[in-house]
This record gives sequence, C-alpha cells and structure tokens, in this order.
Amino acid sequence: MEGIVLALFLCLLLALITKYLSVPAIPFYILAGIMLGKAGLGLVTSDVISRFFSDMGLIFLMFFMGLGLKPERVAANRSAVLTSGIIDLNVNMIIGFVAAYLLGFSIIESLIVASAFYISSTAMAITSLIENRKLMLREAETVIWLMVFEDLVLIIFLALISAGDQNLVIFVAKVLGVLAVLYAFAHYGKEFLISILDRDDELPILFTFAAVLTTASFSMYLGVPETMMVIALGVAFATTDPDAFEQHARPFKDVFLVVFFVFFGITIDFSGGMNWFMILVICVLAVVSKLISGILTGIVIHGSALSGLEIWGNTISRGEFSIAIAVLYGSPVVATTIAAMVIVTSIIGSFTAKYSSWLRRGILGLGRKKSPPHRVHVTR
Amino acid sequence: MSLRSLNLPGIGTKYEFKTEKGDTVAIFFTKTGTIQMYTLQKGCNTPSAAEMTPAEARRLGNILTGAIIEADQESVEIAFSALADLRVTIHSFLIPKVIAGRTIEDLQIRAKTGATVIAVCRHDKNIINPAPTFVFETGDAALVIGESDQIRMFEREIMVE
Repeated sequence: MEGIVLALFLCLLLALITKYLSVPAIPFYILAGIMLGKAGLGLVTSDVISRFFSDMGLIFLMFFMGLGLKPERVAANRSAVLTSGIIDLNVNMIIGFVAAYLLGFSIIESLIVASAFYISSTAMAITSLIENRKLMLREAETVIWLMVFEDLVLIIFLALISAGDQNLVIFVAKVLGVLAVLYAFAHYGKEFLISILDRDDELPILFTFAAVLTTASFSMYLGVPETMMVIALGVAFATTDPDAFEQHARPFKDVFLVVFFVFFGITIDFSGGMNWFMILVICVLAVVSKLISGILTGIVIHGSALSGLEIWGNTISRGEFSIAIAVLYGSPVVATTIAAMVIVTSIIGSFTAKYSSWLRRGILGLGRKKSPPHRVHVTR
Repeated sequence: MSLRSLNLPGIGTKYEFKTEKGDTVAIFFTKTGTIQMYTLQKGCNTPSAAEMTPAEARRLGNILTGAIIEADQESVEIAFSALADLRVTIHSFLIPKVIAGRTIEDLQIRAKTGATVIAVCRHDKNIINPAPTFVFETGDAALVIGESDQIRMFEREIMVE
C-alpha cells in the first residue's frame, strides 16, 4: 500500500509540473515508474492492490473509448476518414512490422509492436490541438478523424488477438451478442438510465462505476476479454447521454489511469537485457513513419505536403493505447521497447505539435529564398 | 452568412460562419470547458485565436448582442426558482456629473423608482449599504438592485436628473 501512495504522490508532483510546462504527463508517469520499480531503485513493487487499480485504469480507458466512438459519425464522413485512415494504417503497420521482424521479434511479437507503433495517442493529439490553438486548421479535422479511425482499428485488433485459440466465428458471434444485449438495455432502458444520470446525489456516479465493473466481470463467463466488454458497454451507452457518462466516469479514469501508467513503468524489467540499438531504431522509425504517412495524407487529402507536416506534428505521440497493448499482450522485451517508444515519441511529439507552424513557415521561407527573387509590380 | 455546426469527436462542438466580407469566424466549445474563438481574415492563412472561460465568453456574447454599452456598466439577473421565480437584477451605473454632490435621500431614489443603491465603488474602495445621507461624486460606480422595471426607471429618472 505504501508503494501506491509513494507512486501517486510522485505522479501528483509530476502532474503539477507537466501541466505548468504544458507538456504531456504520460511519459513522465512511466519514467517515474521505471525509477521507482524493478528497473530503478526497487522502492515499489506491484501487488494485488496496485494490479486491481491498474486494471481499473485500463477498463475505464476502454469504456471512454467506447463512449467516444460513434459508428454512425464515421459512416457520415466515410470517404475522408477512410482515405487518411487507410494510408496511416498501411504505412505505419508495415514499417512497424517489418522493422520489428528484422530486429528479431517473432511474428506475433512483431504484430504487437507494429500495432503499438501504429496507434497514436488520441489524448495527446487532442490536447495538443486545443492547447496549441489549432482547432481551426483544416488539418485539425483530419487529425481528429484519424484518431477515430485508429480507435476502430484498435478494437478490431484487440478482438482478433484476444480471440486467441477460440474459433473466430464463435468469438465474433459472442462479441456481437454482448453488444446486442447492451444495445437493447440502453435502448429500452433509456428513460431509466437518463433518470438516474439526472440525479444530483451519489447515484449517477455509483451506477456508472457499478455498470462498468459488472460488465467487465461478466467477461470471465463469456470468454470475451474485459476490454471488449467495456468498449461494447461504452458504445451502447453512447446512444443515451454520453456526456453525462463521461462526466461520471472521468474521476475513476483520471485516477486509475495514472496508477496504470506508473505501475506499467514499475513492472518494466531491464534484467532481460536491453538492446539499445533496437530501441533506438524503433524510436527513430516511429517518428519517420508518421512523417511518411502524414505527408502522404496531406498530399492526398489537402493537396499539400506542408499540410502533411502539420498532421505529422500532431500524431507523432504514441501513448495510452500503445501502453494498453503492451500491458495486455507484450512480453517483457516488447513492453520495454514500447515503453521507450512512448516516452521518446510523446516528448518529441509535444515539441513538434507546438512548433509545427514555425516549421511550416521556415520551410516556406527556405523555398522562397531558393527561387530567384523577382519583383512584381502591382498596379491598382 | 452561412452558419455550420459540427460535432467533433473528443473535442466538442464547432460553430463556423463566413461573414459577408469573406472573413471566417469559428467558435469551439471544447470538452475541457473552455471556449476558443478563431478569426481568419479573408485571404489570410493563419487564424488568430483567443481562449475564454465560460464567463468571459458570456461577457463577449453580451457585448456582441449590444447588452452592455459601456465596458464598466453591466447587469446581472438572478432568478430564485424556489421563491416563486423571484428575479432580481443588479446593475452598475457610473454616476454622471448632473447628480454629483447630491445625496440618496435628496434624489428620492426609493420613492421614485423602487430600486435601492446597495453599494458604491469609489476609487477602488467599496461602500456597502450607503446611508441616505451619502453624497455621490463623479466617477462613483453605484450598484443598484431591484426588478428590471425598477432598474429601467432608475436609468430614466435618476441618471438624467
């Protein structure tokens, strides 16, 4: 228990500092964990309580993702979402997979590294768009839809990989069954749900917590992983009053997710041997491959490579979902690699997001200097 | 003017419209609770942005609708729904030269309008519940409480005396 208190206290300090400097907090939570845990001072070890807290963090992260996922909205914007999404998916998955495979990971491990490599941090991208006041840029919308597409891909990936040995058809049928039951509950119980959410006593928050936990606990009986169960719950509840659910689930998500990040760092173990070369290659490629996909997207969607640079600047950061993949499916070496990638890309990403407009202007300026200056006389 | 509203996942609601002259104004109500306003001049590539708290945005809204005419005069209406929907307006007025040197009693504020002066701000000092013998000076800001009709009456009858 003292371990969690110490870790939380350190995270509180880090949160204060990172918010003050307006840089993302996630990489620092992980670094704090590494420092406190097995790989560092060995002050804190994970125990039953911390594992429970971390599980809650993951579950609430996934519930939030489900709440924000509105399939009908994606359908409405299909062409733009699909084009940019598919470019992003192909470029990054392929580069990530080939790189991981050549570096000596097995096929399954390479797939896991590639998925973590592909998926940008939605939280960091959106915070950076808001904090750097870029919402009006036309690239902002592309970035937002890219994040939605990536979330969809993540769900499919989670489903595929967690199906494991099970018959895929039966597994999909089970997931769809769960979704149908939850949808029916949200549909027929809509008035009941809204009447609960409207109260100003402890009921809304208690109900939200209980609903998420209950749904997650059913996973044991159904053979559907907890993550899929709570995403389905989120998607179903999003048809009632998603803002209210977000509001009531937020305190749990905020606290438990910090525990999740810091204990991810704590459980990282360097004793299996650290391959610095491998980590360096993955980190550099993680930045470069988003540059390639960003520029391609910029050219295809906005007709400008410079737009691509803006997209790149805001999507470099890998974060919460990459770590979720590492925690759920990664071996120690994979987890270490992903941790390093998240730390490096999110720190680089926070700078590129801040200075991308300078970068753009700089490149434009250089382009102008190269061409011979000619004077244009304007007569009015 | 064509207004377009859009729900952006994870961000919030976006309102955008083009003015007749071709400038663009975009407002984002973000999920973090802040409001961002962007303006993009016609033919320009980089928008400029301002971030506001909800209170600041309301104030801007009041200015745009023409509710507040002077920067230092504003009013708030408070509704108490539990008390038979009692509505009270508090309005601030800058004391003009014409009533400087006169007292509250002498102006017959209560008798003429029904409104009450509850506070006066003079040189950054606040005088709460001024006595009837209180003498106004130019530059004072008076806080007047009453029903909206009484406030209007105050504006018409007292401020021009």
